[in-house]
Amino acid sequence: MKTLLKNAHIICPVQNFDASGYVGMDESHICASGIGAPKDEASYDKVIDCAGAFVTPGLVDMRVQSADPGFEHLETLETLLKAASASGVTSLVSLPDTDPVIDNRTVIDSLTLRASKLGGPRLYLYGALTQGQKGHHMAELGLMAQAGAVGFASGAHSIQDSLIMRRLMTYATMFDKPIIHHCEDYQLSEGGEMNEGETATRLGLIGIPSAAETIMVNRDIELARLTKARYHVAHISTAGSIDAVRRAKQDGLQITCDTAPPYALLNEHAVNSFNTAFRLNPPLRSEGDRLAVLQGLNDGTIDAIASDHAPVNRDEKAQPFGQASCGASGIETLFPNIMGLVANGSLTMKRAIELGSTAPARILGIAGGSLETGTAADIICFDANAATVIDQTKFHSRSRISPFHGQPAQGRLAYSFVNGALVHQDTN
Amino acid sequence: MAMTTSQTDTPASAVTLPSHHLLGIEGMDVLTMHRLLDRASYFADNLTNDVEQTLKGQTIVNLFFENSTRTRVSFEVAAKKLGASVLNISVAGSSVKKGETLVDTATTLNAMHPDILVVRHHASGAPQLLAQHIDAAIINAGDGRHEHPTQALLDALTIKRRFGKIEGLRIAICGDITNSRVARSNLYLLGGLGAEVRFVSPSTLLPPAIGDMGVAVYHDMAEGIKDCDIVMMLRLQTERMEGRETPSQHEYFNLFGLDSDKLEAAAPKAMIMHPGPMNRGVEIDSEIADDHERSLIHKQVEMGVAIRMACLEALAVTAAQKRSA
Repeated sequence: MKTLLKNAHIICPVQNFDASGYVGMDESHICASGIGAPKDEASYDKVIDCAGAFVTPGLVDMRVQSADPGFEHLETLETLLKAASASGVTSLVSLPDTDPVIDNRTVIDSLTLRASKLGGPRLYLYGALTQGQKGHHMAELGLMAQAGAVGFASGAHSIQDSLIMRRLMTYATMFDKPIIHHCEDYQLSEGGEMNEGETATRLGLIGIPSAAETIMVNRDIELARLTKARYHVAHISTAGSIDAVRRAKQDGLQITCDTAPPYALLNEHAVNSFNTAFRLNPPLRSEGDRLAVLQGLNDGTIDAIASDHAPVNRDEKAQPFGQASCGASGIETLFPNIMGLVANGSLTMKRAIELGSTAPARILGIAGGSLETGTAADIICFDANAATVIDQTKFHSRSRISPFHGQPAQGRLAYSFVNGALVHQDTN
Repeated sequence: MAMTTSQTDTPASAVTLPSHHLLGIEGMDVLTMHRLLDRASYFADNLTNDVEQTLKGQTIVNLFFENSTRTRVSFEVAAKKLGASVLNISVAGSSVKKGETLVDTATTLNAMHPDILVVRHHASGAPQLLAQHIDAAIINAGDGRHEHPTQALLDALTIKRRFGKIEGLRIAICGDITNSRVARSNLYLLGGLGAEVRFVSPSTLLPPAIGDMGVAVYHDMAEGIKDCDIVMMLRLQTERMEGRETPSQHEYFNLFGLDSDKLEAAAPKAMIMHPGPMNRGVEIDSEIADDHERSLIHKQVEMGVAIRMACLEALAVTAAQKRSA
């Protein structure tokens, strides 16, 4: 069956499309895309008149933590994939912090098989960098790459031992896959509850200096320079880290980074209420850091926006601020958050789609991110101007804690296609 | 004498070395390489016959700071075949354990006037240090990560006797290059004799500056051993497969262990070598190691005796010439 989306505002960063046009797809791939009116409308089985709505590549969420296997009370693979399809995410990449940890090919094979039976959005996996995510011994990166791991990640952990990080980078160069690292110097962050500064001082919470992230980013950049590795900083959040990445890119290193919506839309003042939905790692930073994130998103220093979805439940958050688990549900707010950044003038729509789709697909070498003929038909169609309110109680995910709960947001998803199949249709 | 790259017409005679010691292959001239191989080949043809007792009356000391049964016995057999008396000093029973420095040990031994000292040490450069403090000729039987000249020579002899030549052969040396003295000595020797030497290794077991040594480097076995005439596997110490240098034995064998599947990429009649001792099921599959059609591993041990005869004799001849000069 062939489907045509016409009379749409087409955004394709790869082909530099940002105008009225059309996208046609066959059973699995895009068979035509362009500006203006399609020539062979009659050859399609189904024609959807988008009435000026946006049609773009679907979101590629490069930082999601699945709770399944091991913590299914927080979320299952099924609820995660359902949440993704309902929110414009056509591909997601899950971190290895499961139980068992994804540190061998058997776990990759098993999860890949389960996801293939569930259908919907594409699930990709990162292999753990170290055995059991303990930071000491290299995991079987080669065998995991053979099994389909798209990169190697430390999950929510940060590798403190510089020698093991050097060896990991050196070893990973053999498989041409990026290392995705959460940067945190534990000796500086230990016991910390929120960003160090005036707010933390007033609230009596223990501060985490931005240097805890910046020092680790700088260390890793020097190791990447030494080893010629492909290296990616996860959820970058400080002005100093962003400067370091900017300089590394100018030096020609293969360094990329992403940030998550909270670091572009919120700052440490949110913690004033002691609301544990704002307890994140990295912590919400200063307004200066947030502005540096916005600048980085625009000038190309920050390559991607990812949800940083972490499975947490009410029990883990019903604690005094410093004792509550870090993290929040993110996969269902990624799309409205990105649309929010467009609506408030922080990003152009084309740059937003590049950050949320094209760049992560390119960094990881996976499907999606483009409307070019011949690429996989992972497409979303949405009204960017529809006003909504984020309501965590309506999340498909079982993880229903969001720092954006109750906030007005932009954008309503009309259709979502994965590999040419309709996985979501707005029923309102 | 004209420089030849193959067998000489006349029976090979004892070799005179340009140096008083045999510390490494690096810097050795090609003519000396050929002469040592030719002389050793003569000994190899006569391993079960009586040969001239050119080391009669000489004292050879095997000074081993690292355990090695194979190399020590090989030197001992070689020395005895040439009529020398041999003394074995292993570090376990020596005064080194009592805190004596390497130089003190050397000075003490020097006072006993041995003719040749065969030295194996875990530190790169130890034989060079001894050479500065001792009158005897020193032969390096393996120093740290640096050189193992007689191993390279016996490898070359094994190859030459099997293939009739070394020049033009494509030789892959696979495994832990960083920590291998065998890899370095073989690069100098086999490369010097005109073979195309390649290193195949995980990126974590290659020295960072290896590219500067002018050797082709591969991280994929099938690619690295493609069309090679010889696949030389190196021993990987088990402590290097516990997650620091490589993730596990499991991954190492899957990616870099030689088995019959990977060997298909090599030339049809490719031969397998290994300096020993082997880790079966880690760097080499038993099926391959024990395949008499393809494995030269036992031949290497046999050639070891012949090479060490040629080297010990050469050092004795060189010392005699020096005395008479």
